[in-house]
Amino acid sequence: MPPRKTSRPPPYAARNSKSIPIPIPPALRNLLIRDKARLIVICILGFLSILWLWKRSGGASGLEPSGIVGSRAPVVIVTVIDPRANAAWVAKIMKNREDYAKKHGYATFFPSNTDYSLNNSPPSWAKVPALRHAMTLHPTSGFFWYLDHTALIVNPSISLQSHILSPSRLEKLMIANEPVVPPDSVIKTFGNLKGDRIDLIVTQDKEGLCQNSFIIRRGEWAKYFLDVWFDPIYRSYNFQKAEAHALEHIVQWHGTILAKLALVPQNLINAYTKGPASAKNGKYKDGDLIAAFPGCDKDKFTCADDMQPFFDVLAGNAQSGNA
Amino acid sequence: MDAGRLARSAAPQMPRCPSPRRDVLVLKPRPRHEQARAFLCHFDQTSFILASPSSFTATTGQRRRRSSAAKNPPSLNLHDGSEVRGRLGTTTGASGGPSGDALPAIPGTPANFEMSSRSPSPHPGGWSSPGLTTPYDTGGRNSPMRGFPNGASHNVTWASAQAKSAEVKGYTAFNPRNQGFFGKHFRRISTSLPFSYAEKEKLGRGRQQGNKAMQFLNRTGRTLWRLRKSLGVVLFFVLSIILFYVTPLHRLWRRSSFLGGGNKYVIILAANQGGGVMEWKGPREWAIERDSVKNKKRYTKKWGYDLEIVDMSTKKRYAHEWRESWEKVDTIRNAMRKYPHAEWFWWLDTNTFIMEPSYSLQSHIFNQLKHITYRDINYYNPLNISHPLTEAYLDPETRSLNGDGKADSINLIVPQDCGGFNLGSFFVRRSQWTDRLLDIWWDPVGYEQKHMEWEHKEQDALEYMYMNQPWIRSHVAFIHQRKVNSFPPGACGEKGDDPKIHYQEKDRDFLVNMAGCEWGRDCWAEMYNYRQLSNHLNRTPWEKFKDWISDSFKHMRESNKKDEKSKEKKKEGNK
Repeated sequence: MPPRKTSRPPPYAARNSKSIPIPIPPALRNLLIRDKARLIVICILGFLSILWLWKRSGGASGLEPSGIVGSRAPVVIVTVIDPRANAAWVAKIMKNREDYAKKHGYATFFPSNTDYSLNNSPPSWAKVPALRHAMTLHPTSGFFWYLDHTALIVNPSISLQSHILSPSRLEKLMIANEPVVPPDSVIKTFGNLKGDRIDLIVTQDKEGLCQNSFIIRRGEWAKYFLDVWFDPIYRSYNFQKAEAHALEHIVQWHGTILAKLALVPQNLINAYTKGPASAKNGKYKDGDLIAAFPGCDKDKFTCADDMQPFFDVLAGNAQSGNA
Repeated sequence: MDAGRLARSAAPQMPRCPSPRRDVLVLKPRPRHEQARAFLCHFDQTSFILASPSSFTATTGQRRRRSSAAKNPPSLNLHDGSEVRGRLGTTTGASGGPSGDALPAIPGTPANFEMSSRSPSPHPGGWSSPGLTTPYDTGGRNSPMRGFPNGASHNVTWASAQAKSAEVKGYTAFNPRNQGFFGKHFRRISTSLPFSYAEKEKLGRGRQQGNKAMQFLNRTGRTLWRLRKSLGVVLFFVLSIILFYVTPLHRLWRRSSFLGGGNKYVIILAANQGGGVMEWKGPREWAIERDSVKNKKRYTKKWGYDLEIVDMSTKKRYAHEWRESWEKVDTIRNAMRKYPHAEWFWWLDTNTFIMEPSYSLQSHIFNQLKHITYRDINYYNPLNISHPLTEAYLDPETRSLNGDGKADSINLIVPQDCGGFNLGSFFVRRSQWTDRLLDIWWDPVGYEQKHMEWEHKEQDALEYMYMNQPWIRSHVAFIHQRKVNSFPPGACGEKGDDPKIHYQEKDRDFLVNMAGCEWGRDCWAEMYNYRQLSNHLNRTPWEKFKDWISDSFKHMRESNKKDEKSKEKKKEGNK
């Protein structure tokens, strides 16, 4: 016979409220206490989901290894130096860039056009690897301004960023639906581009796209663009104007390049003092950032003479500024 | 006060239950009559009429009473059976035995005692027996009841109601039994069944009967029934798994982006090559194409991928233009536009055959992309491309052997055969990089200068770009050819024994590309053979079993023939 059940049942045990010190709503506490298995399953599931989220978010750390873009000099001015040119004039040119850079906190880079193996193509091609080189040397800079040695910065007070580079400003400046090659190329610049999506800022003179002053933004697209531009096929193709025609060619044939290109009024970064300036806005006038002397380095080397008045003005300004 | 007097005095003035407060005055142990009064009160409250002492003990009222009385141990000592019976007798009217008092047998059943129909109270004239009453059911009364529950004015009995409804229905309620087949033969059939309930009832009295097998069956059945809940869960899972694979549900699962991820992959199949203006396609070419398309259709359906069949017929538009064979680029772009959610696009030529449809692209390639691809082309470099680039002006990532080394940066996966890149089967990922590559792949200047030199057109152009445009390198990965693009013998060597290139049956290579079969080889024969081989390798277990049987039969027959032949030979030799 089983033992008799006691006829005096023990009194109900008092609820032990000390077991969970954190105040938990009674409904939840009941749920937790009542079903240990459920609690364990919930814990495991929660742990797994946290792991999963962590794994998902862990993969996307898109920081460049060398630092944050724009943490140091925001703009690098690149000028390719011709080692055969007059050294004094070259020094003046370099000083012109450096003064401007110092004023606005930019950096400069002056490679020689013999630094790069061009395989017998014209030395003017050196600007393309020079830009790529500048990007390698300044991995934290956002913009690279190629300024040919035939151009002079004559109004150093203008900051490039506020003048052109800020997306909203750029959006206003962009010329939409303009034939890439004047006067009547079928390929026109896109009309619906956003300022912050632009990777290449160029100007256009009477004859076509200028490659003596343009701004390029660092990024994967810049690598692509420069490498394509520098393709040996184009270098060996004997374009009439070498890299200039190659640029026009790739801009017109490849939509992924045209889509990143902004055409801005010529006098913003490339005002011509002489030569085939754009009829609308190409001529140099006082106050422009740049005075360009296209072709001064061609057969008769007249750059030094042409630039002399501007050097004088700049020197006078500097003195008055200092005084 | 003894029990009899109590009953007599209590009966007319029921209920007169002692309130607990009054009970307080009574000291323990209670006298017997007090206990008895408590019982009576209780009966009154629960309105149970007890016919006999045995049923008395079984009533719920009593049970409840007892449980409450358990706290009061000495109170429930109904040991004196006769006394109890006597006390009960006062309530039920059935004089149960010799009681001490001379009570009238059934005098006053109290008027306020509710009577249940099961045990109708007797009239003064005796018990009414329900079977012998008149058709007018008076519930055992002689006098008609005053209010009928139905509110009918006439006396309606079951029989009269049935007769009435029979009039309405048009047929009588009389239904002769055993008219149909079952009615006639039911008993015979049921008794001739292997199991007989009747027999069991008779002999076994509910105990197990029958032979051992039946017992075993019964026992298993009972066990199953006992385990029905857990078994039900298991059965539910098994059923749902079966349903998952039988219905298109598994395809939905594999296709959805967050479960299987099948809609991230698109196969682009070039079809109708050589059609269009050239028109050299014959029935064999059509058959090849049909097989190839069917193969890919089944594969994509199985894994939830998308299949884009592209008409590669030489169009007038391209026939005299430069871009023929660069349509691949346009095609991939169109596919990217058509499948906006897809990530990877797998280009396949017509002369390819997926040998192992059970491999999914995810498990075969993309889940382990980093480990099965190589970026350092020096690993296998039939073109002798110098890698990595060494120009100082390039950034470190471009100059590195492996790009950035992450699987995320791979945008193009190309196999290499003995002659360099092979674009018969390659993968391209939707990305800006790819967009640029597809844009730059064909360029008029490049074409003009190189199209005589570039025998394989777009393939050579890609190789050229890989060599000369540094931005390409860090995003191209190479894959071992036999992972996605095994060659049959005849392509890249007649023997077909290059372990890097040629199909190996024992390794179950994924895909065969009969590259170049149109140049002097028999495309159709190759396609047919590989299809047969694929079917053979991917037989179901059932098919394997059947084949095993037929093979063993064949083998036996052959060996028999051999034996006979050898015997004949022996005989001849003897002669």
